[in-house]
Amino acid sequence: MEQKNIKVHVENLKKNFGKLEVLKDISIEIEEGEVVVLLGPSGSGKSTFLRCLNQLEKATSGTIIVDGHNITDKHTDINKVRENIGMVFQHFNLFPHKSVIENIMMAPVELKKMTKEEAHEKGMKLLQRVGMEEKADVYPPQLSGGQKQRVAIARSLAMNPDIMLFDEPTSALDPEMVGEVLAVMKELARDGMTMVVVTHEIGFAREVANRIVFMDGGYIVEQGTPEEVLKHPKEARTIDFLNKVL
Amino acid sequence: MIAIVKTYAVMLLESLGNTLLLTLLALIFAMIIGLIFALMNVGKNRLFNFIGTVYVDGVRGVPLIVLAYFIYFGVPQGMKMMGFVDFKLPALQAGTIALAMNCGAYMAEIIRAGIESVDKGQMEAARSLGLPYRTSMRLVVLPQAIRTMIPSIINQFIITLKDTSILSVIGFPELTNTGKTIAGNTFKSLQTWAIVGVMYMIVIVTLSRLAKYLERRIKRGTEEY
Repeated sequence: MEQKNIKVHVENLKKNFGKLEVLKDISIEIEEGEVVVLLGPSGSGKSTFLRCLNQLEKATSGTIIVDGHNITDKHTDINKVRENIGMVFQHFNLFPHKSVIENIMMAPVELKKMTKEEAHEKGMKLLQRVGMEEKADVYPPQLSGGQKQRVAIARSLAMNPDIMLFDEPTSALDPEMVGEVLAVMKELARDGMTMVVVTHEIGFAREVANRIVFMDGGYIVEQGTPEEVLKHPKEARTIDFLNKVL
Repeated sequence: MIAIVKTYAVMLLESLGNTLLLTLLALIFAMIIGLIFALMNVGKNRLFNFIGTVYVDGVRGVPLIVLAYFIYFGVPQGMKMMGFVDFKLPALQAGTIALAMNCGAYMAEIIRAGIESVDKGQMEAARSLGLPYRTSMRLVVLPQAIRTMIPSIINQFIITLKDTSILSVIGFPELTNTGKTIAGNTFKSLQTWAIVGVMYMIVIVTLSRLAKYLERRIKRGTEEY
């Protein structure tokens, strides 16, 4: 067996919101360069699980090790670890009072990763990569949903993350804009980015994912290659879900 | 009436100046107090939440006039009891403290509401990039909160300006106190209070116009988004 580089290691993760147990017992390992798609009905805990990976939701118990840092340990500087974990949100969450390029430059400059000039150069390159270089000086509210999401991806990439988390990145988009965002994500995957994606885009999962993880009721019910999970699901809940969405 | 204006013009204008000075000082401190307690209230630290709540509820629960008496008469007496015999608190300072504390409590609520009106996703996005809480607050949340806060802040500004009249009770020579003096000297209450009233009105109407203008500009600014 070749030595694989484990990027994310999750052991017995539990998450409660008050009395509600959202994640009951999640353990998973994600390798470098892997694209993992989380599927599951709403309320299955997949978004919560994703948000635990950068501790936007604090784990109730269990261990999460990202890039060798135990982020469930209180003594870990979570800000430092987050610099290497990009996150893309369903509702984009661009900063409306900052122009597109300022959105991208803010974190690298503020965290002293780059000078303003370097950040600007990097930002323009990223905008080019997502096809938004002409909108550098525009403010986010003037952009379409698809454009916003492409800028949001560029903003995350500006910190040179080695893991990217996507929380339903196309769910808030008009159907005709889904493609442009998925195209950017596919390119990222091709370039070897480690990605964890919560999505309802089965087509994307089939085409891009190395592994599909099917969650339900706070557990991982089934996982495997797209071929295995989508074509030959073993668990009744997976079959039931796929029948509804396919 | 004209006679009063002629005789007391300097005094009236000076005291209007004092009123504005008191308002301005109180507002500056109130902004600082308000920001501190608002940040305490929106954070997750239970102790800070508690302190913030106690301050806001405590100060809002006491009439300004009582607060002013307490600070102007009560505090120096207390200090003397503790051995600080030379302790003095002039009316301007006492008035500024009382007004700033009072206005600060309301300001804290305005700022808290402003911060809470900003979508949670903004803070999350900033934090997910690795920015610390304070930096995210300063660069992302507060600049957006201020836009929604400005009309309320100007409104509070007007209330505070009117509240300075309450501080006439501790002898600070602001506009209302001067009105009392003039009315006492001339026995012309009708004219004196009409003049004083109009003077307040001119300043306040000017301010509310300014507020409307700013509000409109902000709205336009948001539409540009």
